[in-house]
Amino acid sequence: MSDVLLIALLAGLLAIDDRAGWQSLLGEPVISSLIIGALLGNVDAALNVGIVLQFAWLSIGAARGTRRPNTVVGGVVGAGATSLVLARTGDPRETVVIAAGVLMGLLAAEAGAVIARAAGELRERWLGNVRLSATHEVASRNLTVTVIGAALFVGFADFLTTLILLPIATGLSDLVVARLGAGAATGATWWLVCVSAIGVASIVRAFSTRVLVRFLAVGVAAVLLAGWLR
Amino acid sequence: MTLERADRLRVLARLLFIQATLHRKGMQNIGVMHALDAVAPKVSRDPIGLLARHADHFNTNPNAAPIVVGGILRIEEGGSAGAPASIERFKQAACSALAAMGDVMVVGGLKPLALTLAVVSAIYSFFAGLVAIVVLYNVALLAGRAWGLSFGYARGWGVVDAFTGPRVQRVVMIARVLAALAGGVLIAVLARAAFTEGIAHLALLAVATALAWLAIRRGWNPARLAIALFPLVVVVAVLVK
Repeated sequence: MSDVLLIALLAGLLAIDDRAGWQSLLGEPVISSLIIGALLGNVDAALNVGIVLQFAWLSIGAARGTRRPNTVVGGVVGAGATSLVLARTGDPRETVVIAAGVLMGLLAAEAGAVIARAAGELRERWLGNVRLSATHEVASRNLTVTVIGAALFVGFADFLTTLILLPIATGLSDLVVARLGAGAATGATWWLVCVSAIGVASIVRAFSTRVLVRFLAVGVAAVLLAGWLR
Repeated sequence: MTLERADRLRVLARLLFIQATLHRKGMQNIGVMHALDAVAPKVSRDPIGLLARHADHFNTNPNAAPIVVGGILRIEEGGSAGAPASIERFKQAACSALAAMGDVMVVGGLKPLALTLAVVSAIYSFFAGLVAIVVLYNVALLAGRAWGLSFGYARGWGVVDAFTGPRVQRVVMIARVLAALAGGVLIAVLARAAFTEGIAHLALLAVATALAWLAIRRGWNPARLAIALFPLVVVVAVLVK
């Protein structure tokens, strides 16, 4: 339980950075999974979950203001569930556990978005009615309280969401991993490749202008050439 | 110029949390008022009047907001006498010009560049590189915001002209080119990793990429597509085995 509480607290802090602060990248799955892996003592598996989730969500980076999944909650829940399942069961089929963790991360991000939207409506009602006071001292104090309150609200909403979703995701991961039989490792690997392919497609799509696609090709060629020369 | 470095730092610190109070009706107006409030008594004899003038809708890229706020502070200091237009007109012009620039520069260039390099570092378990990327990204972001506030404060009305010239377009293009190069590197790293697993893996990656590209082009949500694929792929794998 203390691990779940710690991860939920971390999710709250990362949410403040991601949606109320200056978006330092700490809330991105590839970074948050590293932090969670380090906290729970399983960096490699957690980081693999973070990498695949990052691939899946690469395309939404450019979609400012659209209804995007809650990537902070998704990244934290995915990496957290994987680390907790591996710590508890010690399952040797790490790829299967990672795939289950990625799936839970994707599902948690969608569920987190629904909860965040509901919480966001409450916040909208509150912030939409903020008025300036007649005196500067009172107005100044009210503005500071409003900003701090709004930031804490965002953090608390994700803290609570993670606190609810992480135990569910860990339980479901356990169930999925236990139910998957002989072909599961191959299936999990294939699926992880497919999710990574979504990231590749997102990159190609983002830079598919006449000028930028050349630089994309230069990047590909440079790595392949370096690998061939070695 | 009445505002000292310490004053500008206080404004900058408050602008870091401009997104905290983002809402549909006024967008970033509360965050802007909170930032202006840090120095309002120094800039105007009527601080509450100053804040009231900026209580209306304000929306731009958060990384570009310090430039606009710097400009507002300079214009407020100078007063309305001799101004080419109203301060509302300045905010509208600056916000729309800088929103597009900030989105393309940070969301379309700097952030994808940092994330792509972070993923490459993570694939090779190069943790020092991962930490260095986060540190460098934040230094660039914070330095950019600090520069923006000083620049806006120094230029005032000149902000709008400064950000509609070809030089800005060149800087934005450089960021996009670097991000495209990094994207190419990531694709190649992934392709090489798939190839080392076997030619079947590489073929799967290529086919899945083509299908995902089509799906994204049609406006499908890629994350939901991934969720839907899970049972399908597992069942196929079990049947093949």
